[in-house]
Amino acid sequence: MAYPYVSDREVRLLSKSFGDPKGRRLETYVERGGYGALKKAFEMGPDAVIDEVKASGLRGRGGAGFPAGVKWSFMPKEPTRPHYLLCNADESEPGTFKDRELMRWDPHQLIEGVLIAAYAIRAKQAYIYCRGEFFETTQILAKALEDAYAGGYVGKDILGSGVDIDVTIHLGAGAYICGEETALMNSLEGRRGQPRVKPPFPAAVGAFGMPTTINNVETLSAVPHIVSNGGAWYRQWGTERSTGTKLFCVSGHVNKPGNYELPLGFPLMDLIEDVCGGMTNGKALKAVIPGGSSVPILTAAECKGVNLDYESVQAAGSMLGCAAVIVMDEDTHIVKQVRRIVDFYAHESCGQCTPCREGTAWLAKILRRIEDGKGAEEDLDTLLSVSRHMTGTTICVLSDSAAAPVVSSIQKFKDEYLALIRRGERAGVA
Amino acid sequence: MKEIPFKNPGWAGNTGEFDLTEAEVRGEDFVGERPRAGGHPSGASAYPYMLAEKTPDAKLFEGDYQARFEKILSRYPNKQGALLPTLNLAQEVRGHVSPETMNEVAGLLGLSPAYVRGVTSFYTMYNKRPVGRYLIQVCTNVSCSLKGGDDVMAAFLRYTDTELGETSEDGLFTVIEAECLAACGFGPAVQINSQYYENVTPADVPGIIERLKAERAGSAG
Repeated sequence: MAYPYVSDREVRLLSKSFGDPKGRRLETYVERGGYGALKKAFEMGPDAVIDEVKASGLRGRGGAGFPAGVKWSFMPKEPTRPHYLLCNADESEPGTFKDRELMRWDPHQLIEGVLIAAYAIRAKQAYIYCRGEFFETTQILAKALEDAYAGGYVGKDILGSGVDIDVTIHLGAGAYICGEETALMNSLEGRRGQPRVKPPFPAAVGAFGMPTTINNVETLSAVPHIVSNGGAWYRQWGTERSTGTKLFCVSGHVNKPGNYELPLGFPLMDLIEDVCGGMTNGKALKAVIPGGSSVPILTAAECKGVNLDYESVQAAGSMLGCAAVIVMDEDTHIVKQVRRIVDFYAHESCGQCTPCREGTAWLAKILRRIEDGKGAEEDLDTLLSVSRHMTGTTICVLSDSAAAPVVSSIQKFKDEYLALIRRGERAGVA
Repeated sequence: MKEIPFKNPGWAGNTGEFDLTEAEVRGEDFVGERPRAGGHPSGASAYPYMLAEKTPDAKLFEGDYQARFEKILSRYPNKQGALLPTLNLAQEVRGHVSPETMNEVAGLLGLSPAYVRGVTSFYTMYNKRPVGRYLIQVCTNVSCSLKGGDDVMAAFLRYTDTELGETSEDGLFTVIEAECLAACGFGPAVQINSQYYENVTPADVPGIIERLKAERAGSAG
C-alpha cells in the first residue's frame, strides 16, 4: 500500500503494512502469518530455498537487477570459514525512498528475509547496514529486532531448529558511496568507504575477508513471500525476465508522490497519469528520470510506451535502476537539475580513481558556469569529452553515474544549454 | 510555556489518505524512550541520537555509555569493525568529533590515531567542529529541489540568521545542506537532529524555529 496515497492498481505484497502502525509489532506480524516462511525454510533446507528463489526470478532491487538466487548460489556449500549476510539499507540514490518505508512500517518482514537468506547461504552472522541519517527508522528496526530476539526468532537455536543466526544493525555515517557493495564492506570493517577492485567477488572474499552475500532491503523483504508461496506464484506478476512486484518511488511534479507497489512492466505513463493522479497544477510533462539520479533522462516523448521493467527501460535508452521515478514538468530548469545531480556526485566521489575525482569536479564547475550564463558553446564538447573519459574507466560506477545525466541531457535538451550560453553571450556584448 | 500552534509538516501524515498521529507515523508509540545503555546488543549501535545536550568534555565512555560501547564491541569480529559505531557514540556524547576525540577512540580500539583521522574525515556525518544544539540539514538534491528545497534552505538561513554551516550566536542552530535524505516523495525534506521533517515549505520555517526555541527554553527553565 502506498503511503501516504493509495491506488487500486497496486499489488500489495511487501507494502501491505504501509500506513498501518500496528504492522511494526511482532504480535501483529505473527498473527498475520509472519515467521511462517522461516519455519518453512528450515524444513526445506538451504539448497531448496536457493532453488525456490532462483525459480521466482527475483532480481536484486538495489539497482543492478542481478538474480538474487543465482547470487546466493555462488556461496560455498560447505563452510570452512564464517559466512556473512549483509543487508544494504544505505538507501542514498537521489530519488529513492522505499527502503526507509519498508523498515519503518514492516521491520519484521525484513528481519525474516534476512534470516532466511542467512540460512540459505549458511551464514551465522548478518549485518543490516543502514545509512546514518536514518535515526528514527533504525530505532524502529532495533526495537523490532529486540522483540524478535526475545521471541526466539533470532539468535541461538532459532525456533528449536538448531540454527544459530545473529543479526546486528550497523549505522553508516553519511557517504553515498557506501551503498556500493564493496565500499559498504569496507565501511562495515571500519575503513574509509572506498569500493574494492573485483575480482575477488564478495562470495569469495567479502566482509572481514570472508565469503559474503549482500542484498538490498527490498530484495530481502520479498524473500519470505517467495518461500511461503513458491517461486511460480511470484512469477504471476511482471514479465518473463522481470518477475514480481516492485516498489516505485515517485517524486517530483506529480499530485500524489509516494511509493507504489506495482507489477514490473507497468506502463510509465499510467504510473504518472493514473496512479499518481497526474502532473501537479495540470502542467505538461517534460522529462522523467526513471531509475534514480544516475540513469539517463527520458524526454516526455520517449516516456510514451515505456513499460517499467528492466528490459523495456533499457530499450528506451535508460535504466530501471532502483525504480526511483523523478518526474519533471515543463517549467523545470534541466541544466540546473543536472548541475545539482553532478554536484552531488562531485561531493560523494570517494577520490580513489582519477577520472571520477577530477571528472566530477570539472563537470560540476563547467555546468555551474553555463548555468550562470558564463558558458561557451565549446563547453558542451568539453562536457561530452570529460564524460566519455569517465565512463567505464573506474573501479565502481559512480563516475559513470555522474556522466550519464550530463550526456543524455546534452543530447536531448541541447537547446536549453544553448539558450543559457547565448543569453550570457548577449549580456556580455551589452 | 505558551502553546505554539504548529502544523507539523514533518511526517506526511497530514497529507494523503491516512488518518494517523505523528507518533504513529514516526513510530514513537512503538519505540518509546530509548535506554542510553542501548537495549539489546543487536541494536546497540543503532541507538545514537543527535542530542540537543552535548557534553564536549565528557569521558569516553562511562556509565550507560560504557555499557553500550561494550555491547557494540561484542558484535564485531575485530575492534576495527566497531570504529564507525564508536565514533557515532562519541559524537552523541560530545556533539562533535575533535582530533582529541579521534585519538581517544583510536586508543579505545587499538588503532593508530592517523588511521582514525583518515576514516573520520571520509564521512560527512562526523562534525569536525562544534555545531549548534539543533543541526538543521536541508536537502536540496534533485527531487527536493524540484519542490523548492532551495527556498526552504534560504528560509532556514534567514530565520536562524546564520550563514551556511555557521552556528547562530545563541548557539542553538547550525544550518547545512544535506545530500539526499531518502525522503524524495515528501520533499523538501529536512532533518533536524534525529528527526525528519517532510513536505516543508518556506512558510513552515518560522513555526519550526519557534517550536525549537520554545523546546529549548522549556528544557532550560
